[in-house]
Amino acid sequence: MSGRHSCFLVVAVAVAVAVAACAPETRQPPRRPEFSGTWAAGRGVQPDAARVATLPPNTVVLGDAGAPEFPAGDFGGLVLKPAALAAAKTWDPRNEMTIDRVCVPPSIVYSMQGPFPLEIHQGADLLVIRLEYYDLARVIFLDGRPHPPPDAPHTKVGHSVGRWDGSTLVVETTHLSASTITNNGLDHGENVRFLERFWLSDDGNTLFAAQEFEDPDVLENRGARFMAWERAPGQYIFPYECDPSFSLNYQK
Amino acid sequence: MQLRRPTAVVVAALSAALIGGAATAHHSFAVFFNDEKIITLKGTVTGFRFTNPHGTIEFTVGSDTWRAETNAPTLLRRRGWTPDSLKPGEAITIEGWPARDGSRYMRMRSVTRPDGTVLGTPVLNQRVD
Repeated sequence: MSGRHSCFLVVAVAVAVAVAACAPETRQPPRRPEFSGTWAAGRGVQPDAARVATLPPNTVVLGDAGAPEFPAGDFGGLVLKPAALAAAKTWDPRNEMTIDRVCVPPSIVYSMQGPFPLEIHQGADLLVIRLEYYDLARVIFLDGRPHPPPDAPHTKVGHSVGRWDGSTLVVETTHLSASTITNNGLDHGENVRFLERFWLSDDGNTLFAAQEFEDPDVLENRGARFMAWERAPGQYIFPYECDPSFSLNYQK
Repeated sequence: MQLRRPTAVVVAALSAALIGGAATAHHSFAVFFNDEKIITLKGTVTGFRFTNPHGTIEFTVGSDTWRAETNAPTLLRRRGWTPDSLKPGEAITIEGWPARDGSRYMRMRSVTRPDGTVLGTPVLNQRVD
C-alpha cells in the first residue's frame, strides 16, 4: 500500500469514528411494561401449567387467593413445623376481635392476595404500591440497592427490591414482621422470604402476580399464590382508616 | 279474646336456605356466622356506622335490638353505598347470615327499603373483608 493510500485510510477511519461519536444514540433503554394506575379488587387465578412448572421443588400452590379462604385446620398443602401446628391448633379467632387487635394489618404475604384494589406508581428507580386494604403502602426499590442488615426494623410491608426479567418485574421482600399466612392460625415469622413476579396481559389491562414464600422457622415446604387485577382507569383506592371500635360488636 | 298481635316490625321471616355458589367461607366468617343459613328480618334502623373493617347497622325488631355487620365500607362504596345510605327511623328488610352463637347479630347480605329498592349491589358471597 502506498503512503498516499495509507494516509487516505487513516483519514477515512478517523472521519468514521468522529461521525459515530457525534451521531445520536440509537440504543434505547429496554421498554418496560407500564404498571401505573388503579387496579380493581384482586382475585385468585388458576396458573397455567408452564408457570407452575417453574416453581422450585417442594412448593404448593394455595387455592385461597382472592375471596376464598381456608377453613380451620386446612392450610392448603403447606406442611407446618410442630410448633407452628401447635400454635394453629390453639388459635382462637375471637382473640382477633378485640380493640387492640382488630385493626392490626396483615403483612403483604396475606394482604396482597385480598380482594381489594391497588394503586401503582411506577418510576425508573422506584415503584410504589398502595393497597386499599389497611392503607398499606409498599416501596419497591429498582436501583439495585441491597436489603438492609438483618437487625433493621421489620414491618408489615418489609423491604422490597425489584429487578426486571424481560417484561416481568421480580420483587424480593425481606424484613417482614410476623403475621398471617392463611388467616386461620398459621403465621409466618420474621425470617420469611417473599418473592413476587408481576406481569401484564398482552393488552395491558390485566396485572398478574405470582407470589412465593418460604419460612424455615414455620414451614417444611414452600407456598405460592397466583392473583390478577383488572385495570380500572379513572378509579381510586379509598382510605381504609380502620376503626377499632368495631370490635366492640364482639364484646357485647 | 283478641290475640296480641306482634309488633309490625317483628320478624316477618326467619327462613333457612342453602346458599348455592357462595365462595368458600372466610375462616372468621365461618366461625362467627352460619354460612348455610339465611335469615330475613324486618326492622327499624337505630344506627348506622360506615367505617372499616366492617360497617354496622343497628336496628330494632319489636323490642329486640339487632346488629348487622357489613362488608368493608370501601367495597360497599363501589356498590353504591354511602355513609348516608341508612338513617335512624328507616324501615328496612335485611337479609343475611346469622351468628352461630345465637346472639342477635348477623352478617348483612342485602338491605331492602319498603318500596322494594335494594340498597346498592347486594353481596353475592360472604367474604368477610
